[in-house]
Amino acid sequence: MLQHGNDAGHPASHSGTSRRRFLTAMAGGGAAVAAPALLTGCGSAQAKGGTLQFWNFYGPQRSPDPAINAQSQWFVDTVGKWNATHRTQIDLVHLPQPTYLNGFKLPSAFATGEGPDIFLLSPGDFLRYYNGGVLADLTPHLDKAAVDDFGSSLDSRKVDGKVYALPMEVEPLAMFYAQDVWEKAGLSEADIPTTWDQMLDVGDKLRSRTRAGLVFETNPGYYQNFTWYPWMWQGGGDVLDERGAVAFDSKATRQALSLWQDAVRHGIAPRTLPAAGDVIGGFKGGNVAMWQQGIWNVSSFKAFAPDYGYGVFKLPVPPGGSYVTALGGWSFCANAQGRDPEAAAEFCVWALGSMKDDSIDRMVDWCVGAKSDVAPRDSALERGAAKGGYDSEVMRKFKDEIFPGGRAEPRYPPVVYKAISDAIQGTMLAGRGVDGETERAARSITAYTKSYKGASLV
Amino acid sequence: MSSVAAQERRRTGAAPTRTSTSSERPRLSRRHREWLAAGLFLAPDVLGLLVFVAVPMVLSIALSFFQVSGFGSYEWIGLGNYERMLDDPLFWDSMKITGLYVVVLVPVLFCVSLALGLLVKQRLPGIGVYRTALFLPYVVSLVVVGVLWKFLLDEQTGAVNRAMRAAGFDGESWLGSPSLALGCVIAVMVWVMMGYYMIIFLAGLQEIPKEFYEAAKIDGAGPWTTFRTITWPLLRPTSFFVLLMSTVAAITGGLDLIFVLTNGGPANGTSLAIFYIYQQAFGFGEYGYASAMGSFLVLIMVLVSAVIFKFTRGGRFDDGE
Repeated sequence: MLQHGNDAGHPASHSGTSRRRFLTAMAGGGAAVAAPALLTGCGSAQAKGGTLQFWNFYGPQRSPDPAINAQSQWFVDTVGKWNATHRTQIDLVHLPQPTYLNGFKLPSAFATGEGPDIFLLSPGDFLRYYNGGVLADLTPHLDKAAVDDFGSSLDSRKVDGKVYALPMEVEPLAMFYAQDVWEKAGLSEADIPTTWDQMLDVGDKLRSRTRAGLVFETNPGYYQNFTWYPWMWQGGGDVLDERGAVAFDSKATRQALSLWQDAVRHGIAPRTLPAAGDVIGGFKGGNVAMWQQGIWNVSSFKAFAPDYGYGVFKLPVPPGGSYVTALGGWSFCANAQGRDPEAAAEFCVWALGSMKDDSIDRMVDWCVGAKSDVAPRDSALERGAAKGGYDSEVMRKFKDEIFPGGRAEPRYPPVVYKAISDAIQGTMLAGRGVDGETERAARSITAYTKSYKGASLV
Repeated sequence: MSSVAAQERRRTGAAPTRTSTSSERPRLSRRHREWLAAGLFLAPDVLGLLVFVAVPMVLSIALSFFQVSGFGSYEWIGLGNYERMLDDPLFWDSMKITGLYVVVLVPVLFCVSLALGLLVKQRLPGIGVYRTALFLPYVVSLVVVGVLWKFLLDEQTGAVNRAMRAAGFDGESWLGSPSLALGCVIAVMVWVMMGYYMIIFLAGLQEIPKEFYEAAKIDGAGPWTTFRTITWPLLRPTSFFVLLMSTVAAITGGLDLIFVLTNGGPANGTSLAIFYIYQQAFGFGEYGYASAMGSFLVLIMVLVSAVIFKFTRGGRFDDGE
């Protein structure tokens, strides 16, 4: 409380610190302590000496999930080996996956010119980053033999023949099923569906009040689109044809939208993901019979439910259609506007794209050790197989049956993604007409492509 | 004595001594000292508002006139982003959803919080425990709240559907149906926020002099009459505060919850304007467009706040004369 009245009221002998002086001193001291912290907090990724930063969503971190710990360790080891043998040092910066995928940290960093020197990129984001001029050309650091070794895995990461991202994995989609549920329903291997109708019939047979017969992704986002594309491709449909012309308004598109809509409408597929999206929990809890999922879940099953009986099969096809699945997977990228793009690009190639044994072995360790993926390089795939990484029934199926019919995840920019996403969501969950949603999305994509400036969309 | 010393210093040009300075420093008047103290106390807040609210707001408005790549390039496009906004059906859908959300959430939250405030004002045994329990959801992260409710509302195994089935009803897809999802988000938000506004109402209720209630009791007024003629009118400043704050919170908040619960789905059914703006900015790198929409949303918020001020007279007891 402020002193009222005149200062004569103060005892003459009061030579100690007054309350006001004390507060002033505290405020000054507080400011002195807080200022460096605030300024450090405002500092950029690039303002920290000459060390490059590698932002990722794997490590370093500690997790109760042994699979995640192994993946984190792979990143730590990779960067550790580079740091031990190179003058340019790299810091690993871990961002939790939701923050990396949906947060504002990464986009904000790039928007302010403070993006990380090395980062992970999904195919869905490739064009946005390429058109933004932040992807460094990795080609000068790559041997031709290495480019050939990657083969078609690089297609969606190339522009005008130059490579701008190196895939660390290939992740095909398949249908996972619960063997115990299957057997209890009197089904056998012979009942594994190969057509859409069979899949719906089996799903209908296996569902109950607390168990989903068949699960498709329900949350709107790039991932849902990724899981829907193969159903459209199987009927011969596409978003854009080979020349980049809009081809979305087709019979195959309508057919694929109808498949998901029918599955939900008839209660075969749920409107939300079982167990809040926890695949292993959903299967173990008996809440799922079949779930369209990716190869990465094999390592999760191994870690969390090693004794659980599950199987995988190729995505069924529509009448007259042919088998296709979608191949996902993340890449290493170097920031062309970073502190040292050359060193960053060199790191990406050293880590994943060199013809040296340790580079190939590193990819093998990632794809069949830390994770469960198909290796994007032929040499790594062969070595991984020789090492026994694809010996299990499930991994063998992924390598020999599911992956060979795969097609890389498209690199459509946000407007195209959003138009397709709205069509999927509108038909699947809001019960809107398939024809109307297809036409609306096609119009939206056409309008966008007319004004689009940038690298080829296909 | 001191003026003689000063004259001597001026004459000789000698530097003032430490002793003479402390004894002769011109003193600020009491009024000025109070001004200074007030200024110093206000400075941190004002500085914070300037740095973290006013400056970003001005920058955001400026940004709305540019096409921003998200990678450092800016191109002046004038009102281009605003024209795009006018033609964007998804934005207007999100505004409609936001309108519905605010119109339902704010009154429900107001009534529930007021009812709880009246309830926990009672002198009952263990009332502190109830107050704490009701306030607890407010201190929990919205992400945690979202995960919790996602499990509770799960289609197959959620506690809500289990209870419904046990009671002989069919379960619902609470978060997977466009007609139910927004209602669920509103219900969860009420659950989260009610404790906070309950405390605000409780503070307001405790400000009302007991004598008024005693007089009403002597006059034979029942609970409803007491509430209508004493509690409600005297709660006006508190009601205004709750109304204004909850409206602003409804228009601009809930982003974390939407992310976890529905990610804007199903079929954009919970894509509030703030979610759509966030998605455009940080998902699609459309910072200029997002800034235009954000500026428009702020304008709407200012207008809504002005209307609330107008109709509640800013919570004052007088007529504003």
